[in-house]
Amino acid sequence: METHITFTTAPIAIPALALPSREIGACVEFQGIVRETEQDRQLAGLQYEAYEPMARRHLSRIFDELAALHPCAVVIFIHRLGWVPVGEASLFVRVISAHRGEALQFVAEAIDRMKADVPIWKRA
Amino acid sequence: MQVNLLAFAQARDQLGWSERTVVCTPEDTPRSILARVAPDLRVKLMRVAVDQEYQSWDHPIGEASEIALIPPVSGG
Repeated sequence: METHITFTTAPIAIPALALPSREIGACVEFQGIVRETEQDRQLAGLQYEAYEPMARRHLSRIFDELAALHPCAVVIFIHRLGWVPVGEASLFVRVISAHRGEALQFVAEAIDRMKADVPIWKRA
Repeated sequence: MQVNLLAFAQARDQLGWSERTVVCTPEDTPRSILARVAPDLRVKLMRVAVDQEYQSWDHPIGEASEIALIPPVSGG
């Protein structure tokens, strides 16, 4: 599986769709957007930080483990750091696979596991 | 020996620093190091990473070079 992990302080630029073969039948994308209201508080945005070397290492491991369960061809993971204003994306994930089931499950489980274990923090 | 002690997010706020070098021995544990360096830090909800892997607070650090204080994560 082809894996791309990016952390950026710039607004997330969604990469052009590149299909690795003609056997691709599914492309699942997720964007996490900063909301205005968080636990009844009005926000202008959120401040993100990461322990980047550890985050990369754990994301790579999570993606490898998920690829064994849900074989996919490509995963692109982009997480923004620093200040992210309301309405802009803090996270972009794209997973490409032959069939939709694998890609849908991969994306859902990858985000759940990131939220549980990958050292990234958001704060108001 | 020396290790680099890293503090992120709420841990950094509580301590007032993000990184410092600590003199220690291979028998030291993250808990014993913290007891010397920052005895007042509230670590109850925090995890600790030793050379970028989650580790028990009471496991000897051995030849590790980096210890990181990991408050509850909230990526996404």
